[in-house]
Amino acid sequence: MRPDAYAITIILLAATVESGTILLFPIIGEILTERSGILNLGIEGMMIIGALVGFATAFITGQIYWAFFMGMLAGGLASLIHAFISITLRGNQVVSGLALSIFGLGVTNFYGQEFVNLQLAHTVPQVIIPGLSQIPFFGSILFKQDYMVYLSYILVIITWFILFKTKTGIQLRAVGQNAQAADAMGVNVYKVRYFWTFFGGLMAGAGGAYLTLNCAPFWLDGITAGRGWVAIALVIFARWNPPYALIGAYLFGAINALQFQLQSMGTTIPSALLSMQPYFLTFILIIVATLLVKAKHIGVPKELGIPYAREEK
Amino acid sequence: MLKFEKRENIPLHLRILIPLISILLGVLIGGIAVMFSQVNPLTVYKAIFIGAFGSTYVFSETIVVAIPLLLISVGLILVFKMNYWNIGAYGQYIMGAIFSTYFALNSAETISRPILLMVMCIAGMVGGALWALIPAALKAYWKVNEVIATLLLNYIALYILQFLMYGPWRNPRSFGFPLTKIFDLNAQLPKLISHTRIHLGLIFGIIAAIIIWIIIKKTKFGYEIRVIGENEIAARYAGINIAKNIILAMVISGGLAGLAGMAQISGIIHMLQIEINPDYGYTAIIVAWLSGLNSLTAMIVSFFLGGLFAGASQIQMTMKVPIGIVGLIESSILFFLLGGAILTNYKLNYKGRKII
Repeated sequence: MRPDAYAITIILLAATVESGTILLFPIIGEILTERSGILNLGIEGMMIIGALVGFATAFITGQIYWAFFMGMLAGGLASLIHAFISITLRGNQVVSGLALSIFGLGVTNFYGQEFVNLQLAHTVPQVIIPGLSQIPFFGSILFKQDYMVYLSYILVIITWFILFKTKTGIQLRAVGQNAQAADAMGVNVYKVRYFWTFFGGLMAGAGGAYLTLNCAPFWLDGITAGRGWVAIALVIFARWNPPYALIGAYLFGAINALQFQLQSMGTTIPSALLSMQPYFLTFILIIVATLLVKAKHIGVPKELGIPYAREEK
Repeated sequence: MLKFEKRENIPLHLRILIPLISILLGVLIGGIAVMFSQVNPLTVYKAIFIGAFGSTYVFSETIVVAIPLLLISVGLILVFKMNYWNIGAYGQYIMGAIFSTYFALNSAETISRPILLMVMCIAGMVGGALWALIPAALKAYWKVNEVIATLLLNYIALYILQFLMYGPWRNPRSFGFPLTKIFDLNAQLPKLISHTRIHLGLIFGIIAAIIIWIIIKKTKFGYEIRVIGENEIAARYAGINIAKNIILAMVISGGLAGLAGMAQISGIIHMLQIEINPDYGYTAIIVAWLSGLNSLTAMIVSFFLGGLFAGASQIQMTMKVPIGIVGLIESSILFFLLGGAILTNYKLNYKGRKII
């Protein structure tokens, strides 16, 4: 490989990881939320709330990590609306999630006006991991990133471990598969669902905050541009298993990085058709993933979207 | 302790009161949000009200917004009744606009006005219906999640529109702006009332609402839809062809969204451009839900939300209150409505005493 082609490949793949991380957080969060039996279609809304709160905090205080935390927390708080309606009040989860997305887009448009077109002076600083970053090829892609990217690696491992290797994980899965049986075994269905819905909100907020603190360090209306919906699609692609989320997120990230690179190189392909590619790819992916899930009888939490009513036993 | 007890049938007063109270509470939340941005909510609401209903002209503009909301929402009602989800009216609306524009640009000189308009209406419906057929078939035969599929198709439709507008369909005389040429009079939907922008689409909307009401209440198709919505497993055992019903309902719904797109560009904008208000496709979801999935009630609700949108568009210009206030109020109303549904489904007891 010629040195410049090699360098471009590295840059592209590093950008893939960054762009994928925006999605990786919400995908992991939604995997655990859905595993507990709650479908939250409000990711787009929680992400954009996280994006605005993160951006505003960074803009005002200059504290990037504090801003990331605040964005995450804002996403978590927004998820509680959905949790209350779908868990306590047993409302329709599809419509409630959609309402949460509409709410997020509306509220950020309303309060984001004064930030429109402002830019952050500093984005998330690069943190090179000694040793690991020296690995040829992969070191420069995976370990010359920032703390948020490293956090996402750790989260993939931790959530996989919790889900499949701990008692908490067994309870979480039991609630999503058969809430009544889990209840009979002494698991507090409501508590489990509240907790993991909140976790999903934190993760969506984190993804949104990472977007405005690193990848697009400015504020525009509707800046998440449908990434929340893509995240929900990729949950199916990941078959509700965190390590697969990594593949889905980075695939989307790669297409995104590539089309962006092509556009900046001044290709003759119309930019609208390039911008369409990540969504088109996701569309194809969920068809393939659905067929795979069906063929192998895996995945879908049985009570996804079904409210639990205890006293009707 | 607060206890829930399942209700057998829903009392009429709750069916009316809960949506009304939800609207009031949603408006209250919007008011609180406005207060946080240092504006007097009463001033804002008064301005929205005057901007929506205060004069003959603004009143007519409210109806102009209500037309696409009504056309789209009555179609959505058909799908939602089945407990299936069409979130893709946004994309279907765009496709309807694109398909009908093809004829407006290419046949305006050769075909007479009534026939051209009819062709454009059919093209709009076909465009929307085809765009809905994709996720419908994927759902019916392969069980691909229709919420996600329809949403992703919205973005794909938006980029197709952008491609056309920055590429083959851009008018060379538009100074680089992504606009087609202005449609010939032949391709413009006639106005119903002069000195306003109210167009023939209003009649389409009212007819559609009545037809959908008849379909749901009086036909075998409507009966099957209701059975599937209430209990899909039972419907399957009863021998109802679920795949066929999904596809039919989605195609009708997409066709109406496409017709709304056609009516908007032919009746209001008079050209194709990038901003053709496809967001009505999302607002219509709220209309459908707020009207309790009744297409006749949807006429009133479209009018109400049309007023909210028209009024808020006014104050965005005059008072610099961002248009996001609309989404904020609408979503808050939905939250209360969804939460309030528990009162229609359950009786509430506190320490053994009946509350509601």
